[in-house]
Amino acid sequence: MRDSPDQAETHTLRGATDRPALLTIRDVVEEMEPLATPELDDYLHPSVLEVMLDDGLCAADEARIDIQWTTRDDYKFHYTDTEGVNLRWGKHPHAGDYIHVPGLEHYHPPPNASSDPDEVEASCISQSPEELVTRAVLKLWRVAYHTDSYEPLNAGRNPP
Amino acid sequence: MTDRSPPDEFADVNEAVSEEWESETTPYERIRHVVAHTYSPVSADSVADDARTAPKTARKHLNTLADEGFVETTPGEQGGTLYRRSPESLVVEQAADILEHVSTDELVTRIQEMREQLTEYRSEFGVDSPEELAVNQTNQALAESESLQDEIDPETIREWKTLRRNLAFANAALSIGNAEQFVDSDRRSTDDSVPA
Repeated sequence: MRDSPDQAETHTLRGATDRPALLTIRDVVEEMEPLATPELDDYLHPSVLEVMLDDGLCAADEARIDIQWTTRDDYKFHYTDTEGVNLRWGKHPHAGDYIHVPGLEHYHPPPNASSDPDEVEASCISQSPEELVTRAVLKLWRVAYHTDSYEPLNAGRNPP
Repeated sequence: MTDRSPPDEFADVNEAVSEEWESETTPYERIRHVVAHTYSPVSADSVADDARTAPKTARKHLNTLADEGFVETTPGEQGGTLYRRSPESLVVEQAADILEHVSTDELVTRIQEMREQLTEYRSEFGVDSPEELAVNQTNQALAESESLQDEIDPETIREWKTLRRNLAFANAALSIGNAEQFVDSDRRSTDDSVPA
């Protein structure tokens, strides 16, 4: 899913896609999430790490997380499933368009990963190493998976 | 289908994953991991922050990694040493990974395709590099403030940069693969010539 054209210039990820980082993220996903099968879209010249999930959130049977990561640590983790639900964690400049997002890290909420400036939220993920961002996304996904709810995805906590 | 129990309670996902990472790894592993994809020079303190170690520990391991060629050092402006991943070590690492997974024949074909794509970018935009293209665009914008016509999609500039970077890795893989073959056949022909 693309941002609207008038946002394209200021909302582009900074830096080239980082193959080395995508390989690291692939290894983290493989180790941490038994339901996930990660694969580069092109082994030599990848733009996305596609993570197939054997189960989806709520009513969805299958899902996928598409991961982009750049040499300047900008990223997108885009979730989409068989029920047509989309959502995305991102980090990239947004020229202040997302009025509720003071930093770069943000969250496009379900059901359509809205880019409406008023609906984009500040992300609960604040760290930048790819190892930690990936672990955080997988953990938030797990909590949402077990609670049958989209709420935990950007809550950043798992209350008793 | 394998499943797993729900995650334990946590109050902050950042803290929770950091603690897990810390408990599963040594300080050396975390420092190596953080600096592996640090491409602009940073201080040992900054690496220590991300790797959740003491600055002193980070400095010690970073210096070891520099001795091994994994890390490159530069003097900082305010004194002190800055660290980043050695580009040479990164290229060698990526080339080794590619050689392990892609056949030489496929490499040759793909490199040819990627070169052609690179040539296409150059002729389409009339410049040699994505950096030059960005500068040209800025100059154009400064010169004629009303010009909003042939704006180039910033995503294209990014794709160009990515292509160049991945072609560099692929090219290194092919060169190393070829070099290994010659070195190896040299060794074997020497063995053959040893009289029985």
